[in-house]
Amino acid sequence: MGASDGIELLGKPRGPGSDTMLGTPQYKRDRCVTGVHGLDEILRGGIPYGSTLLVGGTCGSGKTTLAMEFVVNGAAMGEATAYFAATEPSVKLLENVRQFSFFDMDMVDKGLLNVFDMDVTYSWLGLTKATFTMDDVNALVKAITDIVNTIGVTRLVIDSVTTLCYKIPNDQLIRDFLFTLGKTLATQGCTTMLIAEITSVGMSHGGGRSLWSSFGVEEAILDGIMVLGDIDRRGHLLRYLQVIKMRGTDHSRAKYALELTPNGVMLTPMLKWGVDV
Amino acid sequence: MARKIEFDAEDVEFFGDVGSIGSPKLDNMMRGGIPRGFTILCVGEPGAGMDLFCKQFSSVAEDPENTVLISTGESQHEILQLFRRYSWPLDLRVRTIGEEFNRNVLERDLKASKFRLEGFSMADIQKLAQTRFVEVDDTDYLIEMVSQVTNLGPYFRCVVDNLDFFFQRHDDARVVSMIRVMQAHTQLNRGLLMLSISSDTVNKSLEREMVLIADIVFDFEVKMIGTEFETRMVIRKFRNAPENLSVMSYRVTEEEGITPETVERII
Repeated sequence: MGASDGIELLGKPRGPGSDTMLGTPQYKRDRCVTGVHGLDEILRGGIPYGSTLLVGGTCGSGKTTLAMEFVVNGAAMGEATAYFAATEPSVKLLENVRQFSFFDMDMVDKGLLNVFDMDVTYSWLGLTKATFTMDDVNALVKAITDIVNTIGVTRLVIDSVTTLCYKIPNDQLIRDFLFTLGKTLATQGCTTMLIAEITSVGMSHGGGRSLWSSFGVEEAILDGIMVLGDIDRRGHLLRYLQVIKMRGTDHSRAKYALELTPNGVMLTPMLKWGVDV
Repeated sequence: MARKIEFDAEDVEFFGDVGSIGSPKLDNMMRGGIPRGFTILCVGEPGAGMDLFCKQFSSVAEDPENTVLISTGESQHEILQLFRRYSWPLDLRVRTIGEEFNRNVLERDLKASKFRLEGFSMADIQKLAQTRFVEVDDTDYLIEMVSQVTNLGPYFRCVVDNLDFFFQRHDDARVVSMIRVMQAHTQLNRGLLMLSISSDTVNKSLEREMVLIADIVFDFEVKMIGTEFETRMVIRKFRNAPENLSVMSYRVTEEEGITPETVERII
């Protein structure tokens, strides 16, 4: 793929001594290096430790792969990581992720990558009703923080927080849930990605409500927002990623082409001339 | 068109037109016993002896293989102890749905409460990370009970003690509809079905609906007279035999269980 596709590959897969598209970065110690090709450069070194990010995207935009790569790269560095699968059974998720070279089932067996089925967690906590009460929400936050605390999780993914929030009856309770969860995880130094399913990306016309999240209440509370979507270019759907907000770090706000390769996610700058934005 | 049951001639002769209620005195009062095919509804206050009466009814099983006692409140052990105390035969089939429910559902609730209160231990987390599927206990005990009753053959005898369990967990209309199914099966197979329910479990209109479905209705009451308790049984409905309607005091003896003492005819 080259410039003729509207995308210019400037970066190389990260490795020891490799150059990056934004020059040699000065990684700081307080960053959680995602290890996702191109993302750490966009974030000027990685995600600030303890941040809670919303990763919103349309279906098929690469949210799950990105999030899985984020935790797997942590596990590869010996960190304890956790992935809560709410939209698909973990068996299926693990089977799908096996195709990527970054994944190693050994990490699961060694307990570095802990994949939890959200419906099993709900069942264990007696959360079997369609709608959660305040007590249920508190029990869920306690269970997640318990897991983070007990096994020393440094990277966490909830995929997706949208399906979870559908069970919470009102915006205020969703806000409380995300705020409490984010605050508790931050104090434990856990960097968290909350996956959100959205139908379209951008700013709504007229209502003034942004379309980065599912419920419109998540953006203000969380530390960072990344959106993944598709751009139609001459009949081809190109995936892209854009960092909208990231507290505690300077970052690029440009759209980057996201490609799903056998090695995982690859982010490259997107040339404006070739894309109908 | 209703399914036709072919009855064996020997069975017809052996079982006859009526079956015992479990007390010879009461059978005499009712001109021999309960007509085959009848559904009996017992409505009672706690402590009035209704549970004992239900077990006594099942103890006089003509064909133990075709007799089932479905209990929602007692364990197999408790029922066995009671049958031994009264020297009743132990060869009938007993299903303890309440015990099954406690084992399956309440244990899970208890575990969930523990997790919510005390959190997950390291061992719990490891197990949770390895558990890929939810253990679903979607047993519908109402369907289980109805299915067990409707699988009984001609001249069966069955007791469901009691219906409170089902009314507390299912929609009222669904329970009543299932009672109708059991009543129809009983009528068709010349069986004897006894159902019990505590007073005030359902509202008056629902109770009236159940009374309409049942062929015989017994009320069990307990009253305090001076320093003594008096237990009374009222037969307030007896299909096609209103002369059997009566109010009677009863006592519990070691030999016969519930035994009527004084009888007062309503009509």
